[in-house]
Amino acid sequence: MSQIAENILENLQSFLTFRLADEHFAVNVLKVIEILEVPKITKVPRSPDYMLGVINLRGNVLPVIDTRIKFSMEKTEYTVNTCIIVMSIDIDGEELTLGALVDAVDEVLDISAQQIKDSPSIGSQYNPEFIEGVVKVNEEFVMILNLGKVFSADEVQILKDSQNKDEKKKK
Amino acid sequence: MERLQQVFKEESDDLLQNLEQSLLSLEKNPDDENRIAEIFRAMHTLKGNSSMFGFSKIADFVHNLETLYSHIRDKNLKATSSIIDCTFQVLDLLKVLVEDPIVTDENNLRSLADLSVRILTFLENVDGSETSQETVKSTNVVEDSSPSAVDAKATTKTFYISFIPSEEIFEDGTNPLFLIEELTEMGKSKVFTYIKPFEIITDYNVEKCYTSWEILLATESSLNEIKDVFLFVEDTAEINIEELSGGNLIANADFINAINYTGYSGEKQTAEKLKEIIDSMDIKEITSQVKEKQAAMAQQIPDKDGAPPTAPAATKEKTISSVRVGSDKLDDLMNLVSELVTTQAGLSLYAEHNHTTALESITENVEKLSRQLRDIAFSMTLIPINNLFGRFQRMIRDVSANLNKSVEFITQGGETELDKTIIEYLTDPLLHLLRNSLDHGIESPEERKRLGKPPKGTITLKAYYSGVNVFIQIEDDGKGIDANVIKASAIKKGMITPETELTEREIYDLIFSAGFSTAKEVTDVSGRGVGMDVVKRNIADIRGEITVDSKVNIGTKITLKLPLTLSITDGLLVQISDTYYLIPLSVVSKCHEVTKKSLADELNKIVVLDGDQIPFLDLRKEFRVKDEAPEFFQLIVVENEGRRVGLTVDSIVGEYQAVLKPLGKYYRHQDFISGGTILGDGTIALVMDTSKIINKFSQVNKEELV
Repeated sequence: MSQIAENILENLQSFLTFRLADEHFAVNVLKVIEILEVPKITKVPRSPDYMLGVINLRGNVLPVIDTRIKFSMEKTEYTVNTCIIVMSIDIDGEELTLGALVDAVDEVLDISAQQIKDSPSIGSQYNPEFIEGVVKVNEEFVMILNLGKVFSADEVQILKDSQNKDEKKKK
Repeated sequence: MERLQQVFKEESDDLLQNLEQSLLSLEKNPDDENRIAEIFRAMHTLKGNSSMFGFSKIADFVHNLETLYSHIRDKNLKATSSIIDCTFQVLDLLKVLVEDPIVTDENNLRSLADLSVRILTFLENVDGSETSQETVKSTNVVEDSSPSAVDAKATTKTFYISFIPSEEIFEDGTNPLFLIEELTEMGKSKVFTYIKPFEIITDYNVEKCYTSWEILLATESSLNEIKDVFLFVEDTAEINIEELSGGNLIANADFINAINYTGYSGEKQTAEKLKEIIDSMDIKEITSQVKEKQAAMAQQIPDKDGAPPTAPAATKEKTISSVRVGSDKLDDLMNLVSELVTTQAGLSLYAEHNHTTALESITENVEKLSRQLRDIAFSMTLIPINNLFGRFQRMIRDVSANLNKSVEFITQGGETELDKTIIEYLTDPLLHLLRNSLDHGIESPEERKRLGKPPKGTITLKAYYSGVNVFIQIEDDGKGIDANVIKASAIKKGMITPETELTEREIYDLIFSAGFSTAKEVTDVSGRGVGMDVVKRNIADIRGEITVDSKVNIGTKITLKLPLTLSITDGLLVQISDTYYLIPLSVVSKCHEVTKKSLADELNKIVVLDGDQIPFLDLRKEFRVKDEAPEFFQLIVVENEGRRVGLTVDSIVGEYQAVLKPLGKYYRHQDFISGGTILGDGTIALVMDTSKIINKFSQVNKEELV
């Protein structure tokens, strides 16, 4: 009995879910350092749109990324729920800390490995490389992100191809 | 154990570096007694350290070398170039062995054995020294030579030791046998054991000690070392140590036979009786002979550290005046001080807005203190560039020998201090530049004679302060760099067109472009066409600049301009739109107020100020700021590579001490911003790299015009 319980616990992982526009995403909580309100952001000149600038995180300079632009959505509109998820990601073996601006943070979910389904390669508008898996929570699909991949990408490549992006823009 | 090994490694690294230095100077002047003494001292300490940490192979190995140098010091032997060469090889091996002190690697073991044999050969050639053979410890490195096997007449003394433990000695858990064992390991010994006789066996208490010993010990160790054995039983035992003779009495069969040992309950020998025996025998003669020799040695070795008479005071001072601190601790300290400076800026700002006399005076004090603290912490991270220069001496020696060139390497200003991170960054670029000078700069001796130059070339490495910068110059008197050759080569490689008009400086700058190498043949040393661009990039990484001056057949001078420190700079805080920027104060030469109109009219981007024409960059435009520009601008005139360029900003806030924080990998394409700094109110100001801004944006403008 206890053996089974342990197995289940081992397989359980905690994920922080957040929202961009109407879509739900999740990141492993082990990667998340903290969640911040949006402070004053200093824009660095001549940087890409999705790089919002830098903020002062207790004496350190932290780059902040507009996750919506990174995912080819409209630029984030600031609301009371807008916040920054500070996370540490691993890019080419290098530990980087960055802030991701998201529309809202929802909850922390315990998800077992069995619940995570492969991301459907057909029918999804996102490049499967960036999605580690999909989980169904309360009748809604939550996409678990591969953070290293998402934030190491220099340009906006999250969408499968540029056509998709154009279609979405037309909408 | 690992930590100990780390300590050993650090200390040995230092020692080896000193050793290398001394050796290099000795090579220039083989009779320099001070150098020989230094070498001897370094080896002695190294030997001591290795045996202290239990690395007996290294210790034995160094011991032989030390013996060799003691002969050199005693003028029994000349420091020939072959000995010095051999010592260099030993040095190289030791550098490797420091990582592998137990000598597990087969190759190391083999080189160790090879070099040991070479050292022994030198020792065998020592004339007039009958002791040399015996002073050499067993050199079979594979077999661990135990000290008791050592038979060294010259330094051996014979001691009489009487050890009568008190009956209660077992109560503190002391085992006297261990002490005896320790003694016998110090040299050759003869132990006589006595047991207190009992009349009635029932008096015998098993918890008490009734045994006493007399030991004859022939050892190289000093009286004090013997006393140290009994350090913890001084109070619980009767100990009497006497020097019987300055020679090895135990080796003397007649003496041993004369001793009348009659078993456990027999009479004790006592020092007096033994001395009588000595007196009655001829061995006295030998003893006095040996004693004379020792007196002579004692003059040379005033203390057991083997320091020569001139040096001890200096060495002592050295050990007390510096403390070894891990560099990560220093980094932490610097970080904390940076935080403090930032916090203090916040406090000052708050005090400014809340006029309270008490608060203001406190703030002022805090400001003063944090400034002092910053300066001290900052100075701690500075290390003299000498550390770096030393390494090059060796490289120059080896490489010039390789290339059959004769070069005098002069270093100046080694005491100039630089941030340790900068020094770390500098090693490779400087190494490369020096190799270039040696390989391409200095001609062969024949060629130099033909040109009427002294056959020995000179390379000067010089460091000096100038304002907030440190300059490092590499100057050689070689063949120089022909600007025309560079230009021709660049044209051939398609880097420039024949029509391109270039100033001399621009031509020399071509050397630093990737894939540029004018060397006709690729040598082992340099000329692979990579390197100079890497050098430039490395120097640029630490916010430095590099320039080349050269005259054909006279020489080349390469100058590096470096910031004193990487982490803290003084800057001019300015504002563009709603963003703060910091311009390093070291480059700012003047500030002017200009109107929007006067800038807008200028098509060719030049303003006339004080009668000078100054090109300018509109930073609002370059930084793509979209909101409405104000009526008045501030024009900050900055120095860049010898010319003055104006930069427009909205307003000047004031002077600010900035703690530089990197923006991180995400902003690697925005390299004209060298970092961020946090202002007193918590907002971030971006630190401009003016030379990058000017180069980048004026380049873009040129292209746009074309």
